[in-house]
Amino acid sequence: MDVLVSAPRPVEPATWRAARDAARALLIAPSSAASRARDGGFRVTEHDIRRTLHDASPPASGIERPFAWTARTARRPLGLAAVRALVAGDATTPVEAVRSRVAESSRLVHGGSHRAAQLDRWLAGLSPAGRAAVGAEAVTWCTRLWTAVNWDALGTRLVIGRDHWWDSPHSALLALRGRAEVRTGRADLVVLSGPRRASVRAELALVLLVEALRSRDDAPPGRAVGWWPDSGHLVLVEPEPAALALAAEAVTRVLAHGKALTSEAPDGPGVRPAA
Amino acid sequence: MVLVAPPVTQRQGGGATAAPVLRVIDGRAPAGGVLELLRTDGVARVPSWAGLAGGLRAWLEDAAYDAVRARGEEAPPVVLGARQLLGPAAAVHEAADPRTGQRAAAGACEPDPPDDDVVLARLVRALFRQIATVGTLDDPLHDACDALRADGGGSGAVLRRIESLTPAERHALRETLGAHASRLMELLPRPEPDWRPRTDERVAIPLAGGRVVLHGVFDLLVDAPEGPGRARGALALSTDGAWGRTRRSLHYLALLETLRSGAPPCRVAQVDSSSGRFGAEDVREEQLRVMTAHACGWLAGASWGTAVGGA
Repeated sequence: MDVLVSAPRPVEPATWRAARDAARALLIAPSSAASRARDGGFRVTEHDIRRTLHDASPPASGIERPFAWTARTARRPLGLAAVRALVAGDATTPVEAVRSRVAESSRLVHGGSHRAAQLDRWLAGLSPAGRAAVGAEAVTWCTRLWTAVNWDALGTRLVIGRDHWWDSPHSALLALRGRAEVRTGRADLVVLSGPRRASVRAELALVLLVEALRSRDDAPPGRAVGWWPDSGHLVLVEPEPAALALAAEAVTRVLAHGKALTSEAPDGPGVRPAA
Repeated sequence: MVLVAPPVTQRQGGGATAAPVLRVIDGRAPAGGVLELLRTDGVARVPSWAGLAGGLRAWLEDAAYDAVRARGEEAPPVVLGARQLLGPAAAVHEAADPRTGQRAAAGACEPDPPDDDVVLARLVRALFRQIATVGTLDDPLHDACDALRADGGGSGAVLRRIESLTPAERHALRETLGAHASRLMELLPRPEPDWRPRTDERVAIPLAGGRVVLHGVFDLLVDAPEGPGRARGALALSTDGAWGRTRRSLHYLALLETLRSGAPPCRVAQVDSSSGRFGAEDVREEQLRVMTAHACGWLAGASWGTAVGGA
């Protein structure tokens, strides 16, 4: 994927700064609303944007299932850990890397480590066959990402699987999450699933907005690259003023619709990890 | 070239029957079971696959566009898996059902409620995945059920069906599943990790801006040895002896992979756990063309007005 290493489209710093300030201003009102909220804060993720802009109709079951660990929900964190191990040279194959990560869960839990997370406890509680099923799903996820990227070309500023958060300075109750599987400095790669949808540009623009709001200088971030492994399709969102406006508008729509997910289980997709 | 190995019982009873057939494929009988058939180095990649992929996609896009025009842009997406595309014409209703699209988008393909064949197929596939990943089984029924539990909500109906069985029915299921598991263990050694094996790899190709989606799932994909022309081999599992249908499904998956990555798997293999039959073949351009023509014909011939209630 050359788009991960090529320079993003240039933008004037002054233009970028103005767009960032405009986006920040757009978020002041929702921040104030969040500060008045009595039932918890608002954490806005790309999932919320998708729900608001794309999935307007209720799910087929009519029931929103609470978050639960399954092979499907565990594949990303396990797969990311495996990719990290592969990039670091701690493992040579996805199978080995995932197996090592799953074994680590058992060690942490059975050793009573305070580092054991909910995912580790869930994994350790499964039978060997259950763990094999989870591992198989993670191996597939990891292999797809591992084989799609020329890792040697990505340089040394590589960050794998770290979500970035922006906390509103106007309210401690409003936070935005930018999710990216791989960050190269010039691009943030986001692994996408589900159908092609009109909301995907806003979902990816949220990554840029979070980077822009977190930044301590006026330099634009890298581009956001959305990738569907199922189809090989790519969507690029360049760091342009219009992208910030798109994301800020999407966030305000999420908050206006009250669809920010504030009641998920710990470690769920919209929940901020402990610092 | 299509090669089919005889059932396990026949091979065990008369190796002389099988050996000449298998020699044709790579010059030696595969000690590594069916996977060995996928890892033969002799098949070169056709250099023009990328051009072919573009042509096939253009062909399909034209057909998808016509289908969308016939149905109306507001109609729900048509989601075409091998079951709909290669099954009976009545399956058009299923393809056009919005719930099918939602299930496919979620990666699920489970009819509800599942019949006995579906239950067995889901259990065998869970064991297949375990064998391909860790290479060992303990108690097949326990292992398969544990795997489905970890799989999450999509397997709930199958598990409920199993829990509702009488002791006699459960015993029969255990016996049948054990036979399937034994054949798989014999035929399918765990792939070496450096083959980069992955199971249940989903492919979904949106056409006409996503209004038509061709999708399928590879039971097992492996990479070819390191070096130029690194390519993939694919394996499909059948549990009911549906040899021809599985083979056509593999051709469909090869087409999807061509559309996704620009080239099909070099070679595809299939194994049937009900009989122990297995075989492999090289993927050829004509198979991709035939499958593309079939998909276009399906889209052109579908009775959309009936299928989507006049949409």
